[in-house]
Amino acid sequence: MLRKGITESFGAAIHALNTTQLTDGVITRSKRMMLDTLGVGLLGTRTAVFNKALKYSQMFTSEERSSVWGKADVALPPHYAAFVNGIAVHSMDFDDTWHPATHPSGAVLPALLALVETLPRPPSGLDLLLAFNVGIEVQGRLMRFSTEAYNIPERFHPPSVVGVMGSAAASAKLLGLSPAQCCHALAIAASSAGAPLANAATQTKPLHIGNAARTGLEAAQLALAGLEGNPAILDMHSGFGVYYKDYSPAAMADSASGGFRWILEDQDVAFKRIPAHLGMHWVVDAALAARVKLQNTDGPFDPSLIRSVTLRVPLSKYVNCPLPATEHQARHSFQFNACSALLDNKVTVDSFHHAQISRPALRELLSKVKVETPEENQPSFDKMYCEVEIETHQGQRHAARCDTFYGHWRKPLSQEDLVEKFSVNASSVLCTEGVGGVLYAIGDIERVRESSVLSSYLRMTNRAVLQHGETLSSHRI
Amino acid sequence: MISTLQKTIRPMLAARGLHKSAVEVLKSLTPEDTVTASFGKFISELKPQHLSPVVLHRSKRMVLDSIGVGLIGSTTDVFELALQHCQHMYAPDDISSVYGRTGTRLSPTLAAFVNGVATHSMDFDDTWHPATHPSGAVLPAVLALSDMMPANRKPSGLDFLLAFNIGIEIQGRLMRFSNEAHNIPKRFHPPSVVGTMGSAAACARLLSLDPSQCSHALAIAASLAGAPMANAATQSKPLHIGNASRLGLEAALLASRGLEASPLVLDAVAGVAGFNAFYEDYVPQSLESPSDNGHMFLLEEQDMAFKRFPAHLGMHWVADAAASVHKLLVGVGPGKVSPDQVEDIMLRVPKSKYINRPFPESEHEARHSFQFNACSALLDGEVTVDSFTPAVMSRPDLFALLSRVRLEHPHDNPANFDCMYGEVQVTLVGGDILKGRCDTFYGHWRNPLTNESLRKKFRNNAEAVLPSEKVEMLIDVVEELDKFGDCRDLLSQLQ
Repeated sequence: MLRKGITESFGAAIHALNTTQLTDGVITRSKRMMLDTLGVGLLGTRTAVFNKALKYSQMFTSEERSSVWGKADVALPPHYAAFVNGIAVHSMDFDDTWHPATHPSGAVLPALLALVETLPRPPSGLDLLLAFNVGIEVQGRLMRFSTEAYNIPERFHPPSVVGVMGSAAASAKLLGLSPAQCCHALAIAASSAGAPLANAATQTKPLHIGNAARTGLEAAQLALAGLEGNPAILDMHSGFGVYYKDYSPAAMADSASGGFRWILEDQDVAFKRIPAHLGMHWVVDAALAARVKLQNTDGPFDPSLIRSVTLRVPLSKYVNCPLPATEHQARHSFQFNACSALLDNKVTVDSFHHAQISRPALRELLSKVKVETPEENQPSFDKMYCEVEIETHQGQRHAARCDTFYGHWRKPLSQEDLVEKFSVNASSVLCTEGVGGVLYAIGDIERVRESSVLSSYLRMTNRAVLQHGETLSSHRI
Repeated sequence: MISTLQKTIRPMLAARGLHKSAVEVLKSLTPEDTVTASFGKFISELKPQHLSPVVLHRSKRMVLDSIGVGLIGSTTDVFELALQHCQHMYAPDDISSVYGRTGTRLSPTLAAFVNGVATHSMDFDDTWHPATHPSGAVLPAVLALSDMMPANRKPSGLDFLLAFNIGIEIQGRLMRFSNEAHNIPKRFHPPSVVGTMGSAAACARLLSLDPSQCSHALAIAASLAGAPMANAATQSKPLHIGNASRLGLEAALLASRGLEASPLVLDAVAGVAGFNAFYEDYVPQSLESPSDNGHMFLLEEQDMAFKRFPAHLGMHWVADAAASVHKLLVGVGPGKVSPDQVEDIMLRVPKSKYINRPFPESEHEARHSFQFNACSALLDGEVTVDSFTPAVMSRPDLFALLSRVRLEHPHDNPANFDCMYGEVQVTLVGGDILKGRCDTFYGHWRNPLTNESLRKKFRNNAEAVLPSEKVEMLIDVVEELDKFGDCRDLLSQLQ
């Protein structure tokens, strides 16, 4: 069914939204998202997938070049800078998650920062913040066009569907495209959306975000050059609707009228404490709580005393992996994350190193795990819970349940903890000056005059990186 | 015996770290029996001797037509836009050549992109059954990659043709996984779905990747496939082929660097969509490894349609039907058809929204309009490249005829390139009724263009940008491609 004017309303809104419409709430939340994304991206530049993509991208030459995060001496054509930086952000599944589910920031920020470095007059920090929020908002709107989007996905990986549209919208905003050009940017981007879920839990998953960033930027630039697509792309079932089984698009409110409200104002994002699929956070918190209960009655934790571990989780096939062999699979395994939490009393970045994954003690514990998927445990990040029940050989049972993990939008990370996460991540590749510089530039972004300064901080690497060049993960993925 | 085998397989599968639903799929197979692995093996192991004379002949025709169409396509606005975009975003590179632009070279994936755009820019490129435009997604990538290879290790003409045919074959095999693919598409534009996979397969072969890497190339490509139909009949449509070519090449290059993706991308795993994300019904089948007896290429069983004018394939039926009515009209009265003679025009065509356009407003829409192509052929006796130029499109006579068109969708006329027909019924002022019907247009696989007609089309196209000596040399080079030592001669003639 053709509903006229939906795409038109998006084009008009992208064009017309201005900095005065940024509320305090939205500014605070989006700055946290930008900071978290940068930290996670910097850490991600140490992964094997990032380095493969970087080597590949270096075969392209260009006159304009944009920074590669965490690299002092490497720059790439802007599209490829967006590509590799986007990959870095999603490389460890450590980036933000929203509801309905997607990873919104990784598709947008790398594209914007790459674009910023090519503009003759660098936009202000506030302009950057506005464009970023436009990119987030468009993603949120598009996901609300279908009920399918509200549950853990089965067909297309959401960032590959809405992420490229967000990147196109944000880039269009920063480029100052006309309303019609903004529509065409969305149309051109739509032809590049949609990657199958089967590549999640593989090394290719981070490319979904990298490609979303790069292709959205390209779509905006092609629109600027005059390329046209279908100006009703969002209105049509044979347009953006092809990615969803049910599709009910709605127009975006006129931003000038009093009726406009950012989705981010009403729906916050979740930040991860663990570099793993969001669902893992519930099972880890539940496992840690069950472990405490066990220790309180039976003394120090001893895995050999355990007969079985039962997990009650929502039904979601792509995060149900009994014996992961790679880090990518481990990040998408209820079983692995529960057992890591039980064994080590924590799950951290290091938990996913190959040596840790293949520990005999861990494999042994994994073999004792049973997974149940109660029907009332809905596969939705807004509604799910996880229960972990430990049974000892003596027949003792200790169970704990997590409804809302710390970091979820219902229980957000404190600013202190968010900054701590960023600092730890960023320090792995940046020197203190760089870390401090990014904290300042984001913290005070409304007053930053030239947003390109951010990229210069992102290149202030520490001595270890300078000495060893690329720090590759040593294990085969 | 079998039960012990099952018992040992299960822990082995679990040890491979697969997700539970994937384990279910593999319970009845060994890991190497997956559809995905069979495709990887096929791509890697097929040999030049498996190319039969028929396949060689048909694929050389495709290569020639695709080049010609790409060359004339390099004169379009959308090509210019894409080229300038690439040159603006990236510095000149001296690696891969660009159709119709002597001295212009780009990075391989960008060359594949713009040449792919050129190939599909006028909707003049080949069409297969089930429907897709197979060559434009593969040839630009294979050419660009060949340019990238070191001078002393360029592929032979035969290797080149083998890679090309693998790219075509993979597309054909994938389309046969679903019934949805057999009809005029409604959701995803087929070249954007299978074209990317075909390009990845062809490039993986040319790069001599091993079976596992070939599988990963396909899986990486799957994450880059899929564009909505809504952008067909817009200026963006040619980018679907451009991107298919470019991204398939990229997938193969990434796979050659060790990037890995889903090992089950072509298999159907419940709850976790792979390539089947693009189809409503999906039944994958393994590809048999070529044996000494050879391999039956789909191209051997199902030939290609080449277009005589640059428009959607469906237009060729109504154009031929209308042309026969034109002949009747011109035979009767003065040598020109006038709208004043015509009271009513009825077209009996399959039902398909995106090629039903009563009053197209752009050349892209005109190429996707039963009405426009029927009226053009009725007025002029044929549809040509020039029929889609602004001046010819905006003729008052044409508009007058367009206003008199009605469409009917008979039940026996399915939206399927193998079964459809086109009927044109013109009611003259005065009451006479003239009818024309076309079941199989000239150029369709059932009534293929002769070599002479194909070369004529190629000459008309190529001479738009190349001098005639080069045009004739290209015809000879392609004809002898399987016999030449290396493909350098082909590459050099294109510049």
